[in-house]
Amino acid sequence: MQFVRNIRYSLKKYGYLLDQLVSRDFKVKYKRSILGVAWSLLYPLLTTGVMALVFSNIFRFTQPGVSFLAYLMTGLTYFNYFSEASNLAMSSVVANFSLINKVYIPKYIFPLSKCLFVGINFLLTLIPLYAVLLLTGTGVNWHHLLLPYSYLCLFLFTLGMGFLLSTIAVFMRDMFYIYGIVITLWTYLTPIMYDLAIIQNEVMQVAMKFNPMYQYINFGRMIILYNMTPSAESFGACALSSVLVLLLGTAVFRRNQDKFIYYI
Amino acid sequence: MDNVMVRAENVSMMFNLGIEKGFSLKQGFVELLDPKKRKQRKEKPNNDFWALQDVSFEIGRGEVVGLIGSNGAGKSTMLKIVAGVLKPTRGKVEAYGNICPMIELGAGFDMDLTARENVFLNGAVMGYSKKFIESKFDEIVAFSELQDFLEVPVRNFSSGMVARLAFSVATVVEPEILIVDEILSVGDIAFQAKSEEKMLSMINGGTTVLYVSHSTDSIKKLCDRVIWLDHGVVQGIGTSKEICDQYLKMVGI
Repeated sequence: MQFVRNIRYSLKKYGYLLDQLVSRDFKVKYKRSILGVAWSLLYPLLTTGVMALVFSNIFRFTQPGVSFLAYLMTGLTYFNYFSEASNLAMSSVVANFSLINKVYIPKYIFPLSKCLFVGINFLLTLIPLYAVLLLTGTGVNWHHLLLPYSYLCLFLFTLGMGFLLSTIAVFMRDMFYIYGIVITLWTYLTPIMYDLAIIQNEVMQVAMKFNPMYQYINFGRMIILYNMTPSAESFGACALSSVLVLLLGTAVFRRNQDKFIYYI
Repeated sequence: MDNVMVRAENVSMMFNLGIEKGFSLKQGFVELLDPKKRKQRKEKPNNDFWALQDVSFEIGRGEVVGLIGSNGAGKSTMLKIVAGVLKPTRGKVEAYGNICPMIELGAGFDMDLTARENVFLNGAVMGYSKKFIESKFDEIVAFSELQDFLEVPVRNFSSGMVARLAFSVATVVEPEILIVDEILSVGDIAFQAKSEEKMLSMINGGTTVLYVSHSTDSIKKLCDRVIWLDHGVVQGIGTSKEICDQYLKMVGI
């Protein structure tokens, strides 16, 4: 109870700062660009287009009635959020050292603000996603109302990773390089551009389902591409993975945050 | 005693000066090949540095307390602990009331944002609410005299202009506890006089103040009491005249 009260007090006191940090990122991102926010819509469309062009020739995509473009874009929407938000969150504490060293601000606010900022961008990328769904004839159905559940899980998972990564990055700057490689590997181990069914090795196929990102993407695809309600296991796996990682990340962050100042 | 605004109890603060030279992979390889190096590292005296040792004091409501001492005596560390930026290794500090730390100004300015946007961002960093900043916005702008540059990115400001804006945001509050590191006079001569006057009016305005300065003259003028720190240890606490004279005698002036 005490914990919940602390969070409520903290949100009330620092909510405005959070709001300012997020809108700062947003303002700075598109300053001096001619197309501005339109890039948030165009960029995912163009990158997906390029990938579709390349990968539709490499992998034989064999799902009758499913558009590869829609398949690819669903996966990318989820994964791009994770990769961008976790990366920004990782460097957020180190990057804001000048603030941490001068005034008292709860440090969790930096990874949190990054995850929220990229979250707004994520919501914008839903517009091109739905455009693709309509153009490819995939269509929209009532099950889409369940999608926010997977978005929430994705957010909590990413936030947990952000806490974990930003803590490690403070003590060990090598993490910036290591994570760059990890995220590349992670991209290929997640069935974004290919179908899990093409993996021949059965053990490997099962192991890949333990990837939380697979779970969130799969949840989304169930609804968007196959017009189905995700299974109970799918609901459970999404919730469990996100809550576990968030708890782990929060615990690690809280244990170490008072030491940050000596290492930055 | 409910008139105490700041209470420090046996505060000690340790910095590990060797942290920069923490264990690295390169070192690991060197030691693997040459075990003597490893022994040398283990035998080296540890680099613990006590910036503050067993510092205790109380500041009552409305008191103006000065902190004096030579460079590296731990004054700024003490201010940062009171402000909550640093957590003491041992002991504790309690502050009863909202604190305005004027330690370094302009924390959180974003050079790509306009002056107007930065007032809100910096205000939020200082812990002001949106309503408060909106109600004080005109006052802040008027004090900074930057009315004509509100929509200009701070990147294009001169350093004096940035300092004026930061000072104006920081001093718009009426804090219960004011923490000041030196008199912060910024900008051109006219603005320096104005900012000094503003600081003095804040200090004399009945708030509780913890004030660091190297000028014993201004300490004598402003402070009711003085805490003298030397190498992290309290050398004396007492009336400003008494302690300042002792301090000057020790320094040999």
